[in-house]
Amino acid sequence: MDNRPSRHRLVRIRSSRCEPPGQRRLPLREIGGVLVRIGLITEGGYPYVSGDARLWCDRLVRGLEQHEFAIYALSRSERQEDQGWVPLPPQVSRVRTAPLWTAEGDGAVYGRRARRRFDECYGELVAVLCAGGAAAASGAPEDPSASEADRFGNALYGLAELARDEGGLVGALRSESAVRALERACRARGALRTAREARVPDLLAVAAHLESALRPLSLDWYEDDGLGSVDLCHATSGGPAALPGLLARHFCGVPLLLTEYGVRLRAHYLAATDSSPAVRSLLAAFHGRLTAETYARAALITPGNGHARRWQERCGADRAKLRTVYPGMDAARFAEVGEAPECAGPDTLVWVGRVEPAKDLVSLLHAFAEVRKQEPKARLRIVGAPSDAEGAAYLGHCKALAAQLFPDEAEGPHRACDNPVSFEEIGGPEIPTLADAYASGGVAVLSSIVEGFPISLVEAMFCGRATVSTDVGAVVEAVGGTGLVVPPRNPRALAEACVALLRDPERRERLGAAARARALELFTVEQNVTAFHGIYLEIVSRTPVRRVALDQAGDPLPFAFPAEAHVPGRWTGRTARLVARGGPYRPTQAPVRATALPATEGAR
Amino acid sequence: MSGVGGLDRPGAPAGPGAWDERSQEWLAAETDPWESRADTPPSPGRQPAAPHTTGRRQPPARRTGADPVKALLHRHRDLCARAVDPLEIAAGLEAHGVTDRTAARFLHRDVFSLAEEMYARVPRDAATPSGRPPFTAPRARADWALLTLLPGALCAAAVTGLHLTHGHARLIVAAAGCLAVALALRAAMARGPLAATDRTRPPLTRTCWLIAYALLGDGLLSAAATGGPDALPTGTTDGPWPLATTPVLALALSCAPAAWCAHLLAVRARRKLSASRALEDFATSARPLLLGTFTLYVCALTALLTLTATALNEPAAYPQTLTLGALLLLSRLLTTHGFTHAPALVLTATATAEATALCTLFASRLPGCAWLATPVQALIDTWGPGSIPTAACGAGALTLLLHATRTLTRASAYARQDQPW
Repeated sequence: MDNRPSRHRLVRIRSSRCEPPGQRRLPLREIGGVLVRIGLITEGGYPYVSGDARLWCDRLVRGLEQHEFAIYALSRSERQEDQGWVPLPPQVSRVRTAPLWTAEGDGAVYGRRARRRFDECYGELVAVLCAGGAAAASGAPEDPSASEADRFGNALYGLAELARDEGGLVGALRSESAVRALERACRARGALRTAREARVPDLLAVAAHLESALRPLSLDWYEDDGLGSVDLCHATSGGPAALPGLLARHFCGVPLLLTEYGVRLRAHYLAATDSSPAVRSLLAAFHGRLTAETYARAALITPGNGHARRWQERCGADRAKLRTVYPGMDAARFAEVGEAPECAGPDTLVWVGRVEPAKDLVSLLHAFAEVRKQEPKARLRIVGAPSDAEGAAYLGHCKALAAQLFPDEAEGPHRACDNPVSFEEIGGPEIPTLADAYASGGVAVLSSIVEGFPISLVEAMFCGRATVSTDVGAVVEAVGGTGLVVPPRNPRALAEACVALLRDPERRERLGAAARARALELFTVEQNVTAFHGIYLEIVSRTPVRRVALDQAGDPLPFAFPAEAHVPGRWTGRTARLVARGGPYRPTQAPVRATALPATEGAR
Repeated sequence: MSGVGGLDRPGAPAGPGAWDERSQEWLAAETDPWESRADTPPSPGRQPAAPHTTGRRQPPARRTGADPVKALLHRHRDLCARAVDPLEIAAGLEAHGVTDRTAARFLHRDVFSLAEEMYARVPRDAATPSGRPPFTAPRARADWALLTLLPGALCAAAVTGLHLTHGHARLIVAAAGCLAVALALRAAMARGPLAATDRTRPPLTRTCWLIAYALLGDGLLSAAATGGPDALPTGTTDGPWPLATTPVLALALSCAPAAWCAHLLAVRARRKLSASRALEDFATSARPLLLGTFTLYVCALTALLTLTATALNEPAAYPQTLTLGALLLLSRLLTTHGFTHAPALVLTATATAEATALCTLFASRLPGCAWLATPVQALIDTWGPGSIPTAACGAGALTLLLHATRTLTRASAYARQDQPW
């Protein structure tokens, strides 16, 4: 009988009817009150009012008030900078920002030696890019692409060191010698076929893009009073935001935590479509290499869903480093609707979201036409507003289609005409809040053909609504077994699933309750914050930053740390023995590869 | 939209043995809502699904061959032909709604391996159509074209005013004319092909000094050489300190040809940029272009100078005006393309040389310093007072021309202009 203490992480089972989330958190300051200084690196994100993931970052920073945050923000446009910051909590000790959209050359002109250094590093960098792309970067470690990845990393850090020593990297990256180096690399033997076809405009475009992508190298953040003073860097997205983290790791040994809710590499592939093949292949190689380097150097990687996780694994991330942390959402808004036993419109399908072509409302309308044939009492509420001109045009198209498919009809000769499909916006008289939108329907529908993490679906789950959704992005893992999932672009399947739920209130109720329980378990803010808290502590304990201790006079203090402090893990071999007995797992670093951490999905 | 309803479903296999049992199951169940195990009770939706499936919409047999990927390849042929990387195809497929479960129907483990097969199967020998050229040639626009005419017009008006007025009124006209021309120049240079980028600050004071010297310098120099000047300039060309309005008017009028020359250079250079394959090709083809543009401007300035000299009935100071115009154009071109260091240096040197010439003449009046004036005096005696600015500006223009043939023939000089005019 094994009566050793449980090696499972303490999981607090949250009831759906306890206090509001503010009071629900344990007073962590008393239990594991380690102060971690976190350098939160964002790109076009958090402190700016119009930032991308500002809500998530804001909840994270506010949720971990026992830690100290230093925010390093890269802004994306002048407009974003002008719009200002969100109010910051006191645990944010400092904010440093840098523009990515413009680069002032500091006017430093390189001497002969610096120029040679630059030519070497840049030439090496572009030679790696011309030699192959991200597909080669994700191969097995023993093939030649591993050494290519090393070459890329060395060249990148070489450029960063040059920028730190001499400055003036922006001017050098724009100079003719950079374009020449690129041309040489493209014409070299063994270069990619597409790279060999590069013409002068392509070379210029690639050089300009590399210059803008490498702008973080010229920042002055990597000093001891900047990113060198934090215990860990948390990059909130891949790509440009991860680059300062990589350099902080290179210069100061600060471990890097990478969170990706959407894979930047994938976004890059989708965005770059209208330039020439040479430009696209070289830039794809650059982003692929940079992504692979980031994944290789990061201490831990937290994808936001299984879809991002698959991409990360594909791009060379070590499975042992991956921890899926689902995004957290505020459950309190939906508590009232979720707890309410009855629902307002049992025959109503509700769709909530931002109106855009990727949501495939046309398919939804066609599906609803089928539903109406079988369930004449059914109604469809489409709640949402377009975000841009394209969305507005699409909404107009959908309204026209709805008017065509479903003419206004009256229930009796003396009733007012009514249309079974209604287009509404949140804030109107009938739907004052988001929760009311879900409350007004019995079944929530999602008909997207492209979706990252389906936020509206999770909101519906919080509201305790049975859902019918298309199998895209992270829908399946979000909904689990608590809703129906149909193939995308298949109105017939969507209609059949909707009819099935509309006809079976008991099943609807059961699925809704299961959905709410699942959402409360996996997608709350507290879950997210707790997961990051644990990950912070894990990183800090596994890869502490080694700093030189100073005495009162400011001189380095020899033997301030015992030699054992520098040995990773337990080097006496205890882990191997314990593992042989199936004993408790202790997180260790490199030497104990035999006990690779099993990838934990979801539960963290 | 119903046409794409069956987008990801390849249909029944035609050849035996191409599909395994798992895919048969997929085919059978593919119109059913995909449900997972947690919802264990059999859904009532399944029963009514069957008659519909066999009923009207599904054609009895889709004529897809034994190769389901082929249809997919055909459907996404643009994506596959464009892709530089299997991952790009994977991203594109996902954006079209292909998931790992769809990929399983094509006997692939996930979208990535499906994308790899598609990437491998697309022939890439044919010349791939390149995308749009990254450089669109700047279009001539009315705003800067009109603004470049403004300095010349205002300057002509000011010169006419000088000729028509006397005394105090003439002084006021002169001051107002200077101010108006300066503002017009500023406006003309603020946009269009001669506009400096945000990063570069053109050397304004030195340019002003050079123009002021063209207006007043020769008169002052000849007056100083003969012991003057005895009075302030009166605004006429025949006083003790004569005013040379011809060169300034010609230079002001030449703003328009200068802007058009710069525009021509930019347009042609970009065209050559798009056409050239190697950097060396571009350099060799850009050099005659640059020299031709430069010559064009000098010719235009000569013509304007002749015209104004005839109109004002004054001697046309060809050498100093042409060299000054060439110097100013080259410095502006270099500044516009981001090379600020050399123009600033050369303009400073030229302005200093002219100032030194004046200073030595006045300094030689100090007792014991008469030797200071000897070189300047010799120059004036031999070639006249115009030789000083000619030499200074000529040397500067030549230096800048040599510099420009090296720098403005680089491809990178034309890459950094991000603002569309």
